[in-house]
Amino acid sequence: MLTPEHIKEILNDYTINLRFHARGGQGGVTASNLCVEAFYGYGVCQPKFGAERMGSPTESYVRLSANADLVRSNEQVYGPQFVSVLDPSLLTEVDVTAGIPKGGWLIVNTEMDQLTVQDAVQRKDINIATIDATRIALDVLGRNITNTIILGALIRVSYLFTFEELSDAIMKRFKGEVAGKNIQAIKQAIEETCVYDIGIEPDFTVDSKIPWQQVSLGLPGYKDLDKAGVWYCDEDIIPVGSDQVNTGSWGEWEIIWDEETCTNCTQCWFICPDFATIRKLGDDGKYHMSGIDILHCKACLNCLNICPVQAISKRPKQGPAACALPEEGGGN
Amino acid sequence: MSIEPMKIFFKEIKEPIETAMIGNYAVAGGVTQTDPDVVCAFPITPQTQSVEGLSDVVHQGRLKAAFVNVESELAAISYSTAACAAGARTFTATASQGYLLMSEALPMAVGWRVPLTMMISARAFNSPNLSIWNSWEYVITDYGWNCIVSENVQETYDAAILSVMISDNSLFPTMFVHDGFIISHSVQKLWLTPDEVVRKLTPRKPRHTITPERPGVWGGIVTPSFFMEGRMNLDVAKKSVLNIMKNSFDEYGKATGRHYNLIETYNLDNSSKTAFITMGSMCGNIISWMTKNKDIGLIKIRAYRPFPYEELQKIVQEHNIEKLIILEKSDALNNLLPPFSTSIATALYPLNTIFRSYIVGLGGRDVTRDEFDITKRKMESVKDMKGQLYTYLGVRETKDKIFEVDR
Repeated sequence: MLTPEHIKEILNDYTINLRFHARGGQGGVTASNLCVEAFYGYGVCQPKFGAERMGSPTESYVRLSANADLVRSNEQVYGPQFVSVLDPSLLTEVDVTAGIPKGGWLIVNTEMDQLTVQDAVQRKDINIATIDATRIALDVLGRNITNTIILGALIRVSYLFTFEELSDAIMKRFKGEVAGKNIQAIKQAIEETCVYDIGIEPDFTVDSKIPWQQVSLGLPGYKDLDKAGVWYCDEDIIPVGSDQVNTGSWGEWEIIWDEETCTNCTQCWFICPDFATIRKLGDDGKYHMSGIDILHCKACLNCLNICPVQAISKRPKQGPAACALPEEGGGN
Repeated sequence: MSIEPMKIFFKEIKEPIETAMIGNYAVAGGVTQTDPDVVCAFPITPQTQSVEGLSDVVHQGRLKAAFVNVESELAAISYSTAACAAGARTFTATASQGYLLMSEALPMAVGWRVPLTMMISARAFNSPNLSIWNSWEYVITDYGWNCIVSENVQETYDAAILSVMISDNSLFPTMFVHDGFIISHSVQKLWLTPDEVVRKLTPRKPRHTITPERPGVWGGIVTPSFFMEGRMNLDVAKKSVLNIMKNSFDEYGKATGRHYNLIETYNLDNSSKTAFITMGSMCGNIISWMTKNKDIGLIKIRAYRPFPYEELQKIVQEHNIEKLIILEKSDALNNLLPPFSTSIATALYPLNTIFRSYIVGLGGRDVTRDEFDITKRKMESVKDMKGQLYTYLGVRETKDKIFEVDR
């Protein structure tokens, strides 16, 4: 088990890295911001840079140290010793344990017990803490925003900052009434966190970045690229855009295509920003519509609006995206 | 909204306070403190929150400025230049394609000698694909704007105030740059300067303005018998800008305790007589890496335009630097050198310093210790200035091979 004194000692000569997994709208970036504000030493927080939208998986990183020079680096965080997951559905959707060194901590908002989490992430060499943050959020805050509550669990296992330091940071950022409720929720979270300690501490002196990790191998090199940087859809060379991500989980509508009504005008195929409407070459040598790629359809509704014969309709979808609320304080 | 990112600037800041903010909001705060009359910009990622933050303080009533919405970046820079020429203290901001769209009107702000300030969140321009991430697009043009580049949130906040001082004293427009996303969206701790101190540093000064009291033609057509005189008049006026910058840095340092220089140096008296030379957020990465690599130095360019070539020559000579590793986040496809490296090469020409230029981190690719390790190693075997002087680094050659890197 880590002790406050040990953590302080480490922070004098090394950095401690954190990563937060959330869905757009759940406040993962705000949680990492609060870490920097609550921490007594030097800190920097970087959201995973780029476009996001409600419901899509987001990541943000925090680097903390008492040594100003070490935190001066703007390099991304590759080996986080503490990873917090704000939404249990992310455990299987993204690789939440990537880069966590042996003995690192995974903190999850879930009703599951720690052994089930361990099975789900298939890592037996890391410590796990769980907290039913969603229930606390609904009880105390009245809405499903778990970002501050997960910080309570983080305090319990990491000692990076104290409850009082975090409360101060929240008072500075949140409006009065909201601040009070969040502080109450954090207090409850610290008490209710379940800790599964495997008895191994992370080695803070080694940063587990793999050399040249930032240049992801397996993707095409400059020699493999087509002229003009075009992504041709008939080849599976370049996994770009929504090909890489299951963007179908983001949208709040399910799109339904009706074969009977469809006249094969293919206007929906042209307007779809993600090639999520599927056409097939028929025996007659012409293209025919054949359906919607629900794995990648983000429900932008462009196809529904352009269809001249109302062959496309929508119905509300249940899922993680449905409960996500807009990110406050500016996204990207 | 339950979170108010600009809350800290809603009230008078009476003493230096420490807070944590993203780069863009910090700039919005710094600009608020300089009390502009006109804020006019068009939103573009990753610049947006700087203007968002300013709209917050204008809406809340803390800042009494005209907040002007326009339909494009070209409109923003045209409006801002004109407002500034009419005597208003003016702020605008942009990035990437927005900066390129401004191009048509950028030289006129210089020509009219308006003390405009502009923030740039450096972002790649689109070619061959669109990227919203960081590259140095601002180095590709050279219209005579003053340009200071910041490494972190503290520096970019200070630059927002410094730019007003530099613009007002030099009567040339000033752009201050931070790396998009890397600084614009990172939360870092910073110290805020008290409002009273900023007011003292940025007093309103009488200057030439468009006024009905003294009618004149601004930007009127001239024949070949006159244009060159106008240009040389500008160039001669530019000569004093570096001194003005230096004085502004000094004055700001005295008032706040945060001292800056045109060029900042780290560990130059090292055993290998080699140094990195670069600017922006990468300097922080190098400084962290240098805690374990003490046999190499760093030269950090803070004032990019006008380029302080005499200072650079003096530094290289005084510290006996034999080799320089130029790291640059832009490329030019010109068979010579990319723009930043061209400036360094020109400045170093009389000294015969050996250098190589490495193009890294384009379109937001992370620049890490791997890049520093390998350039340091490669430089050990470089003995002359023959052949192509630049190369890309951290690029995939094929699916399983990184260009010129043996793993």
